[in-house]
Amino acid sequence: MSRFFATGSDSESEESSSAEEITPKATGTAFNKQNLLLSDDEEDTKRVVRSAKDKRFEELTNLIKTIRNAMKIRDMAKCLEEFEQLCRAFLKSKAIVDKEGVPPFYIRLLADLEDYLNQLWEDKEGKKKMNKNNAKALSSLRQKIRKYNRDFETEIANYKENPEQSAEEEEEKEEAESGSYSESEDDGEGVTAKSFMKKKPAAEPAPEASKFLKGAADDESESDDDDDDEIWGSDSTDSGSESEDNEGNAASLALAFLKKAQDGDRQADRKKEERKRRSKRKERAEEEAEEEGLEQEGGEWEKVKGGVPLVKEKPKMFAKGTEINIPVVVKKLNEILQARGKKGTDRAAQIELLHALAAISEENNLGQGIMVKIKFNIIASLYDYNPNLATFMKPDMWKKCLDCIDELLDILFENSNIFIGENIAEDSESLAVSDQPFRVRGCILTLVERMDEEFTKIMQNTDPHSQEYVDNLKDEGRVCNIIDRLLQYLENKGSTEEVCRVYLRRIMHTYYKFDYKTHRRCMGIQGESKSEQDQEESEGEDSAIIMDRLCKFIYAKDRTDRIRTCAILCHIYHHALHSRWYQARDLMLMSHLQDNIQHADPPVQILYNRTMVQLGICAFRQGMIKDAHNALLDIQSSGRAKELLGQGLLMRNMQERNAEQEKIEKRRQVPFHMHINLELLECVYLVSAMLLEIPYMAAHEFDARRRMISKQFHHQLRVGERQPLLGPPESMREHVVAASKAMKMGDWRTCHSFIINEKMNSKVWDLFPEAQRVREMLVRKIQEESLRTYLFTYSSVYDSISMETLAEMFQLELPTVHSIISKMIINEELMASLDQPTQTVVMHRTEPTSLQNMALQLAEKLGGLVENNERVFDLKQGVYGSYFNRDQKGGYQQKQGYQRDSDQRGGYQQRQGYQRDSDQRGGYQQRQGYQRDSDQRGGYQQRQGYQRDQKGGYQQKQGYRGGYRSQNQSSY
Amino acid sequence: MTVYLWTSHVKHIVLSRMQVVMKIIKHYQEEGQGSEVVQGVLLGLVVEDRLEITNCFPFPQHTEDDADFDEVQYQMEMMRSLRHVNIDHLHVGWYQSTFYGSFVSRALLDSQFSYQHAIEESVVLIYDPIKTAQGSLSLKAYRLTPKLMEICKEKDFSTEGLKKASVGYENMFEEVPIVIRNSHLINVLLWELEDKSTVADKHELLNLSSGSHLEKCLQMLMDRVDEMSQDIVKYNNYSRSLSKQQQQKHQYVQRRQQENAQRQSRGEPPLPEEDLTKLFKPPQAPPRMDSLLIAGQINTYCQTVKEFTSQNLGKLFMAEALQGQGS
Repeated sequence: MSRFFATGSDSESEESSSAEEITPKATGTAFNKQNLLLSDDEEDTKRVVRSAKDKRFEELTNLIKTIRNAMKIRDMAKCLEEFEQLCRAFLKSKAIVDKEGVPPFYIRLLADLEDYLNQLWEDKEGKKKMNKNNAKALSSLRQKIRKYNRDFETEIANYKENPEQSAEEEEEKEEAESGSYSESEDDGEGVTAKSFMKKKPAAEPAPEASKFLKGAADDESESDDDDDDEIWGSDSTDSGSESEDNEGNAASLALAFLKKAQDGDRQADRKKEERKRRSKRKERAEEEAEEEGLEQEGGEWEKVKGGVPLVKEKPKMFAKGTEINIPVVVKKLNEILQARGKKGTDRAAQIELLHALAAISEENNLGQGIMVKIKFNIIASLYDYNPNLATFMKPDMWKKCLDCIDELLDILFENSNIFIGENIAEDSESLAVSDQPFRVRGCILTLVERMDEEFTKIMQNTDPHSQEYVDNLKDEGRVCNIIDRLLQYLENKGSTEEVCRVYLRRIMHTYYKFDYKTHRRCMGIQGESKSEQDQEESEGEDSAIIMDRLCKFIYAKDRTDRIRTCAILCHIYHHALHSRWYQARDLMLMSHLQDNIQHADPPVQILYNRTMVQLGICAFRQGMIKDAHNALLDIQSSGRAKELLGQGLLMRNMQERNAEQEKIEKRRQVPFHMHINLELLECVYLVSAMLLEIPYMAAHEFDARRRMISKQFHHQLRVGERQPLLGPPESMREHVVAASKAMKMGDWRTCHSFIINEKMNSKVWDLFPEAQRVREMLVRKIQEESLRTYLFTYSSVYDSISMETLAEMFQLELPTVHSIISKMIINEELMASLDQPTQTVVMHRTEPTSLQNMALQLAEKLGGLVENNERVFDLKQGVYGSYFNRDQKGGYQQKQGYQRDSDQRGGYQQRQGYQRDSDQRGGYQQRQGYQRDSDQRGGYQQRQGYQRDQKGGYQQKQGYRGGYRSQNQSSY
Repeated sequence: MTVYLWTSHVKHIVLSRMQVVMKIIKHYQEEGQGSEVVQGVLLGLVVEDRLEITNCFPFPQHTEDDADFDEVQYQMEMMRSLRHVNIDHLHVGWYQSTFYGSFVSRALLDSQFSYQHAIEESVVLIYDPIKTAQGSLSLKAYRLTPKLMEICKEKDFSTEGLKKASVGYENMFEEVPIVIRNSHLINVLLWELEDKSTVADKHELLNLSSGSHLEKCLQMLMDRVDEMSQDIVKYNNYSRSLSKQQQQKHQYVQRRQQENAQRQSRGEPPLPEEDLTKLFKPPQAPPRMDSLLIAGQINTYCQTVKEFTSQNLGKLFMAEALQGQGS
């Protein structure tokens, strides 16, 4: 493959044509360098795709190179692998090969490889030494190449006859090709310098190539000058001694050098091209090499003198004297854009170019149409700057992007005669200044949406506890502003869908913010300081009204389900955040989101979770403990609240989540400023669970079938119990656990002091906007629930208790106590009656003693045991039945299975014997007083009947309790 | 006093000398609290058809620290020392305290099996401190029945094994009657002590309060019943899967035969026989020993409760009658 370049490498071509393939590395790069230089100075003007042929051939040569390297180190395994790849690549380039003929370098490799393999094969000694892997690879490769070479027999024979000639032919061809390149460059179409550069360096021989390749590969992340540095570095080594001293300080100066050098070389290249065209044979190459050398030196001289400002380059975008008009600019723009998305395209430079283009078009007063178009593209390429979806924009890029969008919006607002749209075809655009309105392809909404996403990404990737985060967050205002402006714009011009989309964006930026202004207004407090008042004035209308307006529009007009779902959720969230509980709840219930949210995509689900949590917290603030508990149960019971709310990833095994998934999940995270305080959430949940669970536990102390209302709460209680030494509570959970214990004893004062104190205030309660009101509500609830718990726990101790005493004990008003106790009596929770004249609660001792309770439990358990036992027995019977049936069925299906069939029968009889066995058991049952007749089944059914009786009896007993109570009540 | 125990060939057990009983009681008083169990070794000899237990010594309580404590070593040392002072040193069994009669356990079964396996006449003495505290000395001697010994030897706890051996919870252990024999001097002392004791002490037996004891019993009974249900569910699952597999097997065999018949009619050789057991691995049968033990334990609980309640009922009737007389 080096021959491929050898022709191009002018200085040593003579030598290289006859030399071994390995030698002409230096020459190869020398040639390559020319191209690089050439490319560098012309890259501004033309960057177009290289031809398919080049690409394919480059691929082939690359592979061939590696194969040759592997051959050198006798790495057969590698050789085999590469060879297979080569075959595949060759197949791929079939179309080109058909057109151009089989490339000689390919044939050469095949021939060489075969010879080489044969040689290795003969070498028995060497083969023995080879390791197993290699030996295996060798034999398989040998077979493969034999087979493969059959297709190229004639070519290989040709080559073997006259290797020199074929090499030369190849060179000629190359020559011709490179000639055509330069021509095409002049024409300004087809292959450009840039592509040339791309191709050649890649095909370069080993060390230099790798060095360069690295540079080329890295250029995504590295900036332009880095890239150039690299090139320059390799250049200098190649071009020999004179440049070596430059290499050291290359870094800083390199850029300037290069540009200069390029400038210098430019003319040289021109000359060279001309010469190339002129001269046909190798001698020409020699000349050229000399010239080149000179020119290069000249270039270097210039470099040393010092940098020329970069600006100089810019105007070169257009040839001097070109009349700059719209078609030219558009053409230029397209040229630039064609490089977009290509590997190795320097995105930063592209952005620069676009800016320059914008400046030019402005200079030349080409009108707003073209401006808008260029702006669109600038923003698009800004987004493109990061190749990876996961990485976020750099701050300066972000700023640029915001500025650009702002400017774009400015233009759009100023010129109402610009029509933009995604569906305006490229051809039907009208950019020229004329009477007709401008028509520009592009979608501002998409750009803004993308910007919003970028903003989220930036926030996700910034450490939320740093100043940087605050700084970034300040941009939120600008983002909102842009969205607002877009909203205004689209309200006038956009379609309904677009309006819906932009509305959703607006909603997304509003729903999670607490409207302090309205809140304060509602509370009747005026803004205290002047700045606050200013702020109030500056803020627009009430966020609730905005939300309402936007959401309702979406409900009415939206046709995509997703936007409406999001809007509903945000609306609910906003309601809940502002303590409009009933609206929020009704909206949630009306939307039926609970039924089908599991079909939504994860971000919507996260939003749903957030909404549910906010709803729960809202219910809690309103004192709807049960609703709060129900709303929070799903999120809290999983123990993955953090993950479900998109506020962080849980540590998990790598098996469960690979790196890819982790990335996806990271992208779903909610930015920190939108987080819901998890501790607050947990506290609200635990406290509501406490208020529900403790009285319930007290009421059902002896109930064997007691169910837990909240598993998590129980878990916390257990954790608390497991502590060997109980100190004063520290964390929020410990506080709740301690409070629960106090409440269990009916000690509301202690409970109160554990739930509401300094620590808990600062940790939890002060986070509510109406902290005081919530605290009052809590105290009240604690008193009530403590009263209930007290009555459940200690009712057995009292004969009667005065309600006044209770009211005093729990600091509740008499009517409240009365109502609570009445409710308990009505719900049959408390076996008591109220004595009106004396205001006392009279207990009815109908609660079973603990021993009785125990016996009841035991009876129940025994019932379960018997049931289980029956099931075992049942199974046996069932199995026999099915066996029997199946035998009968199978009996007439299969005739030859008769023998076995009768066996089965025998088995059945045996089992009947067993049934007789089980009669013994029946005897045992008889002893127990069951009445059985001889028929097994009948007896069994009867037994079931007995069971039912038993249960009935048990229920009767309960009924008796009820009866007793009712008796008492009626007496009262 | 001497304790005589009747083993298989020995008909009854004689606890000679009060000393053995006192030692066991003392051991519990000192070291056992609550549900903790104390254990020790019984020493004695077989005379004619009696097993006389003449001495005992406790096992030291285990603590976390001395995990490397060698029990066997300790026993040997102890017995050697006893021999030096010329006391009976023949190992004839072991004793264990119990908490509300919960002693039928796997551990007891295993250790009694190993005792009985090594020394034929070994017994286990179960001492119930709580009952004793209520006024009646509760000391029982148990041995494994020969049937159970067989099963344990073969380690076959499957359903079939147990069925074959026809071992139920009732005949796992056999109780051996105990006779406590004191020297005349001790008898005299006892009489004297009884004379001296106050009336209240004497009538501890008549205490009417029974709630807590019964509750405790019920509690433990309930736990066992729970375990039993679990076991049954397990067994149920097993038999279900077994029957399912049997069906599959059966179907498979049928299919195979059909196919073979077809092949025969076509003149092809029949398919080779395959190992059915390999194709259908029977599910792991749950060992039944545990449920047997639980059943045994439930039985003992029931016995205790029955005994206790009948006594109490008697007392209550007595009290009622007395009250009627008084009023």
